[in-house]
Amino acid sequence: MNALFQDLETATLEQFNERELPQWLADPLLEVARNPEKYGDREYLVEMLLAQVREYDVYADTGCCKWAYDHEDLKRTLGWLKEGE
Amino acid sequence: MAVYLDCNATTPVEPSVAALAARFLEKDFGNPASPIHDHGLFARAAVEHARAQVAQVVAARPDEVIFTSGATEANNLALLGLAEAARREGRCHVITTAVEHKAVLEPCEELQRLGFELTVLPVAADGRFDPKQLAAALRPDTALVSTMQVNNETGVSQPLAETAEILSGHGAWWHVDAAQGFGKELAPLQNPRIDLIAVSGHKIHGPKGIGALVARKRDGFLPPLRPLMFGGGQEQGLRPGTLPTPLIAGFGEAAKLALRDHEQRREACRTFRAEVLRVFADLGARRNGDERHTLPHVLNVSLPGIPSDRAIHALKGTIALSSTSACTSHTRTPSHVLAAMGIPPELAECSLRLSWCHLTPAVDWNRVTEILRRLRP
Repeated sequence: MNALFQDLETATLEQFNERELPQWLADPLLEVARNPEKYGDREYLVEMLLAQVREYDVYADTGCCKWAYDHEDLKRTLGWLKEGE
Repeated sequence: MAVYLDCNATTPVEPSVAALAARFLEKDFGNPASPIHDHGLFARAAVEHARAQVAQVVAARPDEVIFTSGATEANNLALLGLAEAARREGRCHVITTAVEHKAVLEPCEELQRLGFELTVLPVAADGRFDPKQLAAALRPDTALVSTMQVNNETGVSQPLAETAEILSGHGAWWHVDAAQGFGKELAPLQNPRIDLIAVSGHKIHGPKGIGALVARKRDGFLPPLRPLMFGGGQEQGLRPGTLPTPLIAGFGEAAKLALRDHEQRREACRTFRAEVLRVFADLGARRNGDERHTLPHVLNVSLPGIPSDRAIHALKGTIALSSTSACTSHTRTPSHVLAAMGIPPELAECSLRLSWCHLTPAVDWNRVTEILRRLRP
C-alpha cells in the first residue's frame, strides 16, 4: 500500500520538476501521496491517479487521438478521490 | 468439495477482481460511451485504466488493446478480420499449426471456405511445431501466420522467439492465441514482431466474458482489420457494443496482479508441480509434452489401462480435473492435440490434464494414489 503512495509522490515530483505538470495540480497530488492513512481505503482511485500522472501530457488533447492524460483528467480523478472524504 | 485442478479451463477469481467488478455493477454503473456526465466519465476512466493495465503485460500501447468478449472472439476478429485486406493484396495463403484451439482452427477452416489456401504445420512428440517447417512453408503470398503461445491441453510453450526471427523479413501478419499463456509467461508476448495477440480474462483470475485482441501498430497503423459486427463505433470501430465496464475493470485488475505477482505465482506453481510429478511418476504415468517446455501449472499424463472418464469419475470427490480442453471435454471426440503429437489412441484415451494455480489448496495425494491404483486392470 505505502509503495503505491510513494510511487505517486515520485511520479508527481518527476512530472513537476522535469516536465510540465502545473503546481496547482502537483500540490493536491502530493497531498494525496503523503497521506496514505487518509486515502488508503481508495486504493483503486490512487492507482488510477498514478497511471494518469505517469502518462500526463499537457498536449494530450491536441492531436487527432487522445492517448495520454491532461490536466482535466487529473483534476477529475482527484475530484472522485476527494468525494470519499 | 474436491480440490479444483482444472485451471486451464478457468481460474478462480481473485478477491480484489470480484470487489472491483461488483463496484462497477452496483455503484458506478455508468456507460463509458456517455462521457457527458460524471457517471459516464468515471466508467470511461475505468475502461482506459484497464486498457493500459492489459497493454502493459505484453509491452503494448493502450490504444493497441481492443476489448472483446474473450479470446475466441479475439481469434476470430484477428483471423477473419484480415481476410478482406489479404485478398485485396493478392495474398491468399495462411499457416497455422495442428495443435491450435478450435477457436483458431475453425476460423482457419472458414478462411479456406472463402478461398484461402491453408497450411497446417505438424508438431513433434514434444508438442511443439518446428520453426524450420514454418520457414519452409512461408510463401510470398502468405498473408497470415497463426501460432499459439501455450497449448491448452499440454501446457507446452511454442517456439515464438524462433518464429519471430523467421518472420522478421516477411510481411505476413502474425497472430498468437495467448489464451493460456498471457500473464503466465511474459517475455514471448512482448516480442514486437507479433502483430495480433488474443487474450482472455478468466484464465488469469479475471471475470468470464471479457478478453482482448492486442493489435500492434506497424509504422503507426493498426493491422487492416475489418469488424465482424456492426452497430457502433466502440473500440476504434472494430468491436461495436456497449463496453462491459465491470468485466473490463476486473480484467484490468487481474492483468495488474498477473504482472505484479508473476514470480511468486510461478514459484507456488513450481512447488505444487514437484509433488504432482512425484505422485504420477510413482503411478507409472506417461508424460504427454516435453517437461522442459511445459509451464509450471500444467501436467498432461496418460495412465495406461485407466480410461480418462473412469479416472475422472473415481476422483471426483477428491480432485476436479479434465482430460482435454474445456471446450471439447463434454464430447467423446479424441484429442486432436495428442493425436498430432503421435500419441496412440489407447494412450490418448487414458490422458488426464491437471492444471493448478497459486490459489490451489493442498491435495490429499495419498487418497488420489489409492483411488488410481484401485482402477488398475
